[in-house]
Amino acid sequence: MKMAKIVILGAGVSGHVAAAHLRRKLSKQHEVLVVSPNSNYQWIPSNIWVGIGRMKSKEILFPLPPLYKKKGISYKQAKVTSFYPEGDIETTEPFVNVEYVVGDKKGVSEKVTYDYLINATGPKLAFDMTEGLNPGTNKAYSVCTYSHAEHAWNALNELIQQMKQGKKAKILIGTGHAKSTCQGAAFEYILNVEQELRRHNVRDNAEVIWIANEHQLGDFGMDGMLLSYGNNIMKSSEMVEMVFEDRGIKWIIGAGVNKIEDGVAHYETLEGEYKSETYDFAMLIPAFSGHGFKAYDKNNSDITEKLFKGFMLVDADYTPKPYEEWSVQDWPETYQNPSYKNIFAPGIAFAPPHAISKPRLSKNGTSISPAPPRTGMPSGITAKLVADNIIDSINSKNKMKHKGSMGNMGAACIASAGFGMTKGSGVSITTFPIVPDYNKYPETQGRKLGKTFGEIGLAGHWLKLALHYAFIYKAKMKPFWWLIPE
Amino acid sequence: MTQRISKSKRFYMMNPIIQFFKFIWLSIKILVIVAGGHGGTREAKN
Ligand SMILES: Cc1cc2nc3c(=O)[nH]c(=O)nc-3n(C[C@H](O)[C@H](O)[C@H](O)COP(=O)(O)OP(=O)(O)OC[C@H]3O[C@@H](n4cnc5c(N)ncnc54)[C@H](O)[C@@H]3O)c2cc1C
Repeated sequence: MKMAKIVILGAGVSGHVAAAHLRRKLSKQHEVLVVSPNSNYQWIPSNIWVGIGRMKSKEILFPLPPLYKKKGISYKQAKVTSFYPEGDIETTEPFVNVEYVVGDKKGVSEKVTYDYLINATGPKLAFDMTEGLNPGTNKAYSVCTYSHAEHAWNALNELIQQMKQGKKAKILIGTGHAKSTCQGAAFEYILNVEQELRRHNVRDNAEVIWIANEHQLGDFGMDGMLLSYGNNIMKSSEMVEMVFEDRGIKWIIGAGVNKIEDGVAHYETLEGEYKSETYDFAMLIPAFSGHGFKAYDKNNSDITEKLFKGFMLVDADYTPKPYEEWSVQDWPETYQNPSYKNIFAPGIAFAPPHAISKPRLSKNGTSISPAPPRTGMPSGITAKLVADNIIDSINSKNKMKHKGSMGNMGAACIASAGFGMTKGSGVSITTFPIVPDYNKYPETQGRKLGKTFGEIGLAGHWLKLALHYAFIYKAKMKPFWWLIPE
Repeated sequence: MTQRISKSKRFYMMNPIIQFFKFIWLSIKILVIVAGGHGGTREAKN
C-alpha cells in the first residue's frame, strides 16, 4: 500500500479531532501532519469562565507539540497562506504554502505537499468588519480566545472594584456586527457576568443589557426552536425572556452594531432607526469570516472561486434561493470539496449554503440577522467523519460512506448561566436536528420535540463542568479517549 | 427584576439532591441524542 500523507490545517476542535482519529486508526506508515499557528489546544467553551475570573487560561489549554510528538503526529507551528491543489510548475503534487510564525524560521514560507488535505482553520474573528471594534479598545472586549477572555476579566474586575466604591455602571453584552453568529456564547457570558455582579454585591449598581442581531430572543442563529420544557412546550424566545426578566437583564434585539466609539455602541435596528447605547464595559462577538485564502492552479492562475466562497466550498447546494425554498438537503454531508476530491473542510471552515435563521433586512436595506452557528459538537462530528472517509479511501474501501448533515444530527448546547458548585446554573438545550427540517417536523418548527428540549438549573452547571474535564481528557488523548463521543 | 421563576421552581432548580438526579438524567438523555447517530439527508429524499 502506498504511504499517504494527510495534512490538517488548524488544531482547534475539528482539526485536533481529525488528527487524533486519523492517528489512532491509521498505521504508522501513513503520515499525519498538523499545521497550526497556535501551539496550544484550547477548550473554547470554558473561555466564558476565564472571562469572569473563575478559571485561569492554563486550566483550559495545554501545549500540543509534546502530545503530538508522543502520538506520532507531525506538527508545524505555521499558518497556511495559499492553496495549490494541482501543484505548480515545479511541484507536481498538490501543496499548500505555509509560513512559520515562531522561532528561527519565523516568516519563512514552505511548500507542504499532501495526498489529503483537511482545512480546519475555523473562522477569522473579523473585528475589522465593525468600525472601532477591537478587543481591549473603546471599553469593548471579547471572550473568543483565552487571551481575549483574560483581558475582558481584567477590565470587568476593575469595573467591579469601582462599583464597590459606589460607581453606577452599564454593561452591554451581545453581538458586535449585524451578521454575527455565536449568540450562545454571548448569552452564557451575560448570565455569568450577572451572577458575578451579585456575588460581588454590586448588582444594584449595574444595568445589564443584551444587544443582538436576532429578531427575537433565543433565535441563536438557528431560527429559534420549540422545546420540551418539563411537561410544557415552550419557544426558546419565551425561555430566554423568562431568564432575562428573572435576572433583571434588559434587551435590545434586531440590532446591527456598526460602529464602536469609546463607551458607545452605534447600531441600526430592523425598523431602520439609527441609535446608540453607552456602556462602561462591553463584550461583543465579532462577525466570523473566512480567512481570505487564495488558491492557484498548476499554471499559477487564480482559482480561488473553486475552493472558497468566504469559507471553503464543500458538497452543499449553493444555488441562491429564497428562504421559503431552503431545505435540509442543501446542507453538506461529507464536507468534500467538489472540484478537488482530496480536500475537506469540517467544523466552521466550510461555507454554509445559507443561513439557518430567516434573513431580515432593515427598512434601509441593511441585512440584520444571525449567520449560522457551527458549535463544538458538529465541528467534532464532521471532523471525525471526514477522517473516517479518508481512512476508507486510503484502504480502498467504500468511498464517502460516512455522512453527517447538520439536518440529520443533534447537538447539545449546555449554556453556563453562572459558576459555582452550589450556586451555579446552566441552561441545557438540545436540538434535533440542528438545521430545522420543516418537511419532516412541520408541526414543531422543524425539530423533533423530546429530542429538542430545555432544562434550567444547577445540574446544567455540573454538566458543563463535567464536559470541560471530559473534553480536555479526550483532547489529551488519555487512555480510552475515543470512547468519549464528539 | 421581575420574578418569573416561582419559589418552588427555583428550589427545584437549585436543590443539590434533586439536581444530582437531574444531572444523571440529563447526561444520559444528551448522550442518547448525540451518540444516537447522524447521517445524510439526500438519500432519504430520493
Ligand atoms: C466564547 C465561545 C464559547 C463557545 N461555547 C461553546 C459551547 O459551549 N458549546 C459548543 O458546542 N460550542 C461552543 N463554541 C463554539 C466552538 O468553540 C466552535 O464550534 C469550535 O471551536 C469550532 O471548531 P473549529 O475547529 O472549526 O474552529 P476553531 O476551534 O476556531 O479552530 C481553528 C483552528 O485553526 C487555526 N488557524 C487559524 N488560521 C489558520 C491558518 N491560516 N493556518 C492554519 N491554521 C489556522 C487556529 O489557530 C485554530 O487552531 C463557543 C465559541 C466561543 C467563541
